[in-house]
Amino acid sequence: MTALERIVTTSVVPLDFTYNYRVGPYLENYIQGLGRKKILGSKCPDCGKVVVPPRKVCGLCNAIMDAEGLVECGPEGTVDNFTVGHVAVVKGLIEKLDVPQVLAMVVLDGASVPLLAELKGVEPSAVARGMKVKAVFRDPTENDLSDLSHFEPV
Amino acid sequence: MQRKVAVVAQKQINSADVGMPRERMLYELVKSLYEEVGISRDDIDTFVLCSNDFNAGHTISNVFEDCPVGAYMKDETKVEADGVWAATYALARILSGLYETALVVGNSQGGSVMRPYLMMDYQLAPVYDRQLGLLNELSAAGLQAHAFLAKKGLTPDTLDEIAARNLADAAKNPDAFNGKAGASAADVAATDMLYEPLRKGHCYPFTDGACALLIASEEKAKKLTDRPAWIRGVGDSIDTYYPERDVVDVKSVKLAGERAAAMAGIGLKDLDLVELSAKFAHQEPILLEGLGLPADGGAASVSPSGGAFGAYAFNAAGLVRIAECFKQLTGSAGDTQVEGAGYALAHGQDGLCMQHNAVMIMSSEEG
Repeated sequence: MTALERIVTTSVVPLDFTYNYRVGPYLENYIQGLGRKKILGSKCPDCGKVVVPPRKVCGLCNAIMDAEGLVECGPEGTVDNFTVGHVAVVKGLIEKLDVPQVLAMVVLDGASVPLLAELKGVEPSAVARGMKVKAVFRDPTENDLSDLSHFEPV
Repeated sequence: MQRKVAVVAQKQINSADVGMPRERMLYELVKSLYEEVGISRDDIDTFVLCSNDFNAGHTISNVFEDCPVGAYMKDETKVEADGVWAATYALARILSGLYETALVVGNSQGGSVMRPYLMMDYQLAPVYDRQLGLLNELSAAGLQAHAFLAKKGLTPDTLDEIAARNLADAAKNPDAFNGKAGASAADVAATDMLYEPLRKGHCYPFTDGACALLIASEEKAKKLTDRPAWIRGVGDSIDTYYPERDVVDVKSVKLAGERAAAMAGIGLKDLDLVELSAKFAHQEPILLEGLGLPADGGAASVSPSGGAFGAYAFNAAGLVRIAECFKQLTGSAGDTQVEGAGYALAHGQDGLCMQHNAVMIMSSEEG
């Protein structure tokens, strides 16, 4: 296809909207907790399950949870499920990675549902369900979601 | 149901690159349906369009669809989710007694115009998952596939075999474009690894597509065709967000299936075929288990059309599944025909790891 043909047959229209969402009191407390290197979850008053990151409504039984009475989980936990990424999806397009990325669903000690995070410091082929891992925080922290950097084997 | 309602006609366009704008694609599609049935836009009481603003790239995605489908200045509404919801909406409109005929038209151009994986990014929790950038449609599918294989004690070979079977079936279906005659598990296993155990060959193809269904009340259906396919039951359910949900034991498809079967007055084991929107290979056995069917479907043929592997245009996809059931129940499915097909189930999904599921049960006999 020549440049001229390409111009008349398609035009690329990128749009980049920016949204400044409020995170709400639950996630705000969670992020402030990360700033203190603590992982907080909300405990359901009905079913007793601990959900990380905390939220208002328990996804398991629909009860309302308290934003202030958050409980500390981890920093250690167990790999419940994982995938080894050989690609990344960037703006809807597949990009090959030079180094595989391990994504793990970690059930933190004291939590009832898994938290998705990157797992580092282990060969992808050595990752297994049931593996004990611990949270690694950025140092110093910046009161941001990315303060919880990744997990690594205990 | 308060009235008997039937699917009267179907038309589909599916392509990797259809080479024309959406509006032209819809015009060609609906014109061919009108000509085949011998009707005009004057015979349509209500139009249910199914498209999505993010997919179309502009607000009110249906605004330029009205003219090409013949809905200009007529009763028209829109669904943004999968086509099974749009067909259910059309059914509800006819059941209301206010309408006798409905034309349901779904479309998107994920093959040539937009990037389908972006759709899932827009469905992620904005203040958490979108910030972390770890979840996307493929990483979520990889996690779901891994959880499924681990729970069942299966190897990735299972996924290769499912994909190969669907690709080979799709080759026999003239309405699918992504079929591969004689596709083997080894072919699929040779495709690029994405998120283990998910390979490129386990994924739905990017598709430009559209599907139109003409749905009518009993009285009208019998005037329009000698061979309608009767809508007997519908069911849908939306589950909680990932990841606190069990993505292998999918409660929402179970509930959707049970609701539709109760409405139809049959058991799901009475089905002769199921047309599933399994966007990824591992989702087929997960859906079957949710519907209470064995992994090979048992007495029911599983997606004889090739399912989502033959084509998967967001919005149109669920309508295509209904259209394939219509073809089977009216004996017009050609080389993919299931002999004596009496009951069929069409499935559509939406959301991360099949968060939403909807089904429609249809029959060849009036009931």
